[in-house]
Amino acid sequence: MNALEISNLSKKYDGFYLDHLNLTLPQGCVLGLVGENGAGKSTTMKLILDMIRRDSGSITVLGKDNQKHLQSLKQDLGVVLDEVGIPACLTAKQVGKIMRHTFDRWNDAVYASYLQKFSLPTDKPFKELSRGMKMKLGLAVALSHDPKMLLLDEATSGLDPVIRDEVIDIFSEFTREESHSILISSHIVSDLEKICDYIAFLHKGKLLLCEEKDRLTEQYGILQCSQAELMQVNEKAIIGKKLSPYGAQALVRRDRIGPGWSVRQVSIEEIFIFMVKENG
Amino acid sequence: MKGLLLKDLYLAARYCRAFLILEIVFLTVAFFGKANVFFIVYPTLVAGILPMSLLSYDERDKWNQYCETLPCSRAQVVSVKYIIGLLFSGVTWLISMTATVVRMVLFDSFSIRELLFWGEILLVLGVIGPMLLLPFVFKLGVEKGRILFYVMIGLLCAISVVVNSVGLQTSIASGNPLLLTIIAAAGILLYLLSWRLSIMFYKQREL
Repeated sequence: MNALEISNLSKKYDGFYLDHLNLTLPQGCVLGLVGENGAGKSTTMKLILDMIRRDSGSITVLGKDNQKHLQSLKQDLGVVLDEVGIPACLTAKQVGKIMRHTFDRWNDAVYASYLQKFSLPTDKPFKELSRGMKMKLGLAVALSHDPKMLLLDEATSGLDPVIRDEVIDIFSEFTREESHSILISSHIVSDLEKICDYIAFLHKGKLLLCEEKDRLTEQYGILQCSQAELMQVNEKAIIGKKLSPYGAQALVRRDRIGPGWSVRQVSIEEIFIFMVKENG
Repeated sequence: MKGLLLKDLYLAARYCRAFLILEIVFLTVAFFGKANVFFIVYPTLVAGILPMSLLSYDERDKWNQYCETLPCSRAQVVSVKYIIGLLFSGVTWLISMTATVVRMVLFDSFSIRELLFWGEILLVLGVIGPMLLLPFVFKLGVEKGRILFYVMIGLLCAISVVVNSVGLQTSIASGNPLLLTIIAAAGILLYLLSWRLSIMFYKQREL
């Protein structure tokens, strides 16, 4: 079963159009949504949660239509948005009491263990916590009701590198169970690279690609050469290029470039930048 | 729903302390100040508007968006504010009525007709705030809803002038049982209608 199936999803705003998005996240996997600001990542998350009305298309979460079974589905979802949304005056202790009466499978012991793991004070009001701590409290809530799927919208932004690494480990631990899946969007592509099985590139509301992460790095590579040399490369192999007085750098398809060229390993971030910025 | 209610009670306990002080001061003045109407009526009116204050905190903290990630329906989100409105107005009404009875017994002659009159007035004033305000707020958000609320208050003042001119006020003041029953029934009906309308508006809103 797929944890998430999005087909032909469209949403139009003034100056923005999410254009017939198709995405599939197999159960037990992590899908990373990469895109610049305004690419449509948060809009996609909001549409999955039915916070905004879609113009067309359908969304299935954990095998159920997201509009027909919204409330029961949310028992199985752990969500962290870019702004956590916990009332400023509430303490972690009070948040725990509220969630105990909100989620059917809320587990006080698990929540307490996350608070301890994240070194979160139980009696400090939310407004007095740092951005990183706020995010960690949001994560603790999202993980303490036995969710089957996590929806994380920029959940690692604002965290320092050490904590980010810790959080990434927690996500990896979460997906060890076969029925657990994660949809995560982030600007920090290196974080996605660490945990994602699939990567989707969104640009100005359009899906540029959705591919297994390992296949992406196998399929593409970076060619560094002179501008004159680049002219001799099969045009169909070049996805994007960056020219400078010192030479040329191009994102190329390994299967189309032919023999004799030295192509180095590419990172996901480089693929995205070349596709969006240096395309053509 | 219990979680949502608990959250609002936590917020009320933190942010509405000033109201509690206002309630005590105003009722004390009303109690010893020979029935100054304003001091009896004002706390009830304010109590009814407290759900609106809670909604503005929700918007500021982005709780309304966070709520969408929790297993709560929009109908429940709306209903909690109406229940909180009833709870605050109800408690304030009870305190005000108790104070009125004690004052009547101690300082004036006890009049059931006057008690009924004040009971009715305070009841209507308690529900009129959330009844008029909440549908606008759930449709347009706190800021725009507040502006429309002031327009509605202006309209109400105009209506009260008309009511006064046709002698209805005297009829209410005299404790006309039929008129009091009609007003109470209309108040309940309009409150339920407002509740239903808010749910409908909020379900359509994009967050």
